[in-house]
Amino acid sequence: MAISPTDVSPGVRLLMRIAELRAWLFLIVLIVFFEVWAEIGFHSTFIFSTYNLQSITVFATAPLLLALGQTFVIISAGIDLSLGFVMGLASVLAAHVCNYAGETLGLPPFLAMLCGMAAGVVITFIPGLVNGWLIARLRVPPFIGTLGMYGVARGAAYLFAGGMTIAVNNDWYSAVGNGRVFGVPVLVILTGVACLILHYMLSETRFGQHTYAMGASQPAARRAGINIGNLTMKIYFLSAIMSGVSGVLYTGRFTAGAPQAGEPLLLDSIAAVVIGGASLFGGSGNIGGTIAGALVIAVIQYGLVFIDVEPFWQFIAVGAVIIISVLVDQTQRRFLGGRQVE
Amino acid sequence: MDRRSALKLMGAASAAAGLGVMPGVARAADKVTIALIPGLTADGFYVTMHKGAEAAAKAVGAELIYQGGAEWNAALQVPIVDAIIAKKPAAILIAPNDKKQLVQPLKKAFDAGIQVVCVDTFIGTGVFQTGSGDADFPISYVASDNVLGGRMAARALAKAIGEKGKVYVSNTLPNVSTTDQREQGFKDEMKNYKDVEVLETQFNGDDANKAAAQLQAVLGRVPDLAGVFGANLFSAGGTANGVKSAGKAGKIKLAGFDAPESIVSQLKDGTFELTIAQHPAEIGYFGFMAAYAQVTGNPVPTAIGTGFTVMTGANIDDPKVSRYLYKSS
Repeated sequence: MAISPTDVSPGVRLLMRIAELRAWLFLIVLIVFFEVWAEIGFHSTFIFSTYNLQSITVFATAPLLLALGQTFVIISAGIDLSLGFVMGLASVLAAHVCNYAGETLGLPPFLAMLCGMAAGVVITFIPGLVNGWLIARLRVPPFIGTLGMYGVARGAAYLFAGGMTIAVNNDWYSAVGNGRVFGVPVLVILTGVACLILHYMLSETRFGQHTYAMGASQPAARRAGINIGNLTMKIYFLSAIMSGVSGVLYTGRFTAGAPQAGEPLLLDSIAAVVIGGASLFGGSGNIGGTIAGALVIAVIQYGLVFIDVEPFWQFIAVGAVIIISVLVDQTQRRFLGGRQVE
Repeated sequence: MDRRSALKLMGAASAAAGLGVMPGVARAADKVTIALIPGLTADGFYVTMHKGAEAAAKAVGAELIYQGGAEWNAALQVPIVDAIIAKKPAAILIAPNDKKQLVQPLKKAFDAGIQVVCVDTFIGTGVFQTGSGDADFPISYVASDNVLGGRMAARALAKAIGEKGKVYVSNTLPNVSTTDQREQGFKDEMKNYKDVEVLETQFNGDDANKAAAQLQAVLGRVPDLAGVFGANLFSAGGTANGVKSAGKAGKIKLAGFDAPESIVSQLKDGTFELTIAQHPAEIGYFGFMAAYAQVTGNPVPTAIGTGFTVMTGANIDDPKVSRYLYKSS
């Protein structure tokens, strides 16, 4: 919970503020680094190019959508390992239903697309509810419960897909995944809206505040009258739905449903949340940080290709940023004597 | 009778029983059972290979068992091999997940009298029946020549870009035998075109999102990029999306590898200039036939190379070309 200004000296407050904003600082440092390299190396610009900006932001959307839901889970001191394949499941189902609605039922493309999108999101209710039920009611640790769901969702996605990627022929759907409005990619706009909604939910609603309370201390939250079971159900439900949104948009972008769509994104989503300032011990983190975290990963991976560095440096660079980020978090905790910062 | 001699007797009895059902030497009247273990089940390439093997099994009236792991992982494939050995088929066709880790598990099958044929990928060096090394026992290696596939991609892409300009290879991960060979073939062949420059390879780890971003990043630095060779499905698909987002569709020529049904519309609308289709059904068919020939006492070549088809928007409607599309069902 927030520390009131009278608790600490101005110097400490400043340090806390910097620690909170570390993801944005990382981002600025990286951008300056790539900009300087581009200017000196090949007389070009990195960040003052709408083309680069569009490319990087679109690149960041899929892992960011997963990371938004994961932020709630991690703040509540949980973890959701299932969301990569829940995303794949949604992607495959959206492709199938869109094709079925368009080709077999003969619906116009726009309606077929909506059917596909709705089906992709609705199917994630099942893994979301089961995750919540396992963790809240049966007291399965989140790591194990969602790991089990990782396998189940993966198998289901491959079964639905018959081991293939499912091609989608729908111009509307393709336009959602690849179109632009006033030069801004539709994917970026939709992800931006999702960020605003989840930011509001986390910072302004009782649900958000209870999530922080639960992550900071579950027994204390329970004694304060918070229904931990219901809250846990809601958090994992939200995480699954965000995976569904990510999967549904993936299908539009690549005009294909792929069961393994989210597999490489799971760890990126956790990394984005952690770089963004959340603690895996729960109780801290915010949506703004997660956005910065996702952008940090996207900028590193894009920038190193842009300046033509040996590709394997990407892994090292992302890993180093995660480690530094966690070290900052630990130092801050020691400094504040275990008190929590939102 | 003391206990030791009783055990001996039991051992002799079971050895005799074992000889009676020795699976390696099937008689003509027996129904021959052959197992196919793909590299992974969730892949159109292996789904199509399965169909080819099924067709062969039907043609000779033999039985086919098909069982594999959901992902490319030697640790998952080994228990499947063990389970298949327990079923005692006459032969195993396998796309080994690892050149080294699968040697001992397959040796176990060989020692149990089960013939081994490698399809698509191989163990050891991929050169069998030479009498040297510990991974020499498979009777045959049936696969596409991936170096040749890479060369064909290079020739076709060079033609598409007017034999000049900058290109790069978008690949999955290093040290995968087949995709490494495609990249090698592509780069070797491109040396014959003195006005074509091959840039650094980009590895995406089968993440289409990353392959798309890499295309855009390379294009940001190299605005006159002329073409890209996507060495497998995800590399090619992700790169295609990057080209589309950059508004360069049709201007940057894409050569893909492999041919799922979804490639048809992408060839026609110009997303892909061409793709190199392997013939996985042939691999399955000839792999099965090689194993069947061996267990029925007929000679088998130690290596069988299957072909490729270059698919373009212009020829994809030709049934002679389109029959090489990988089928999902």
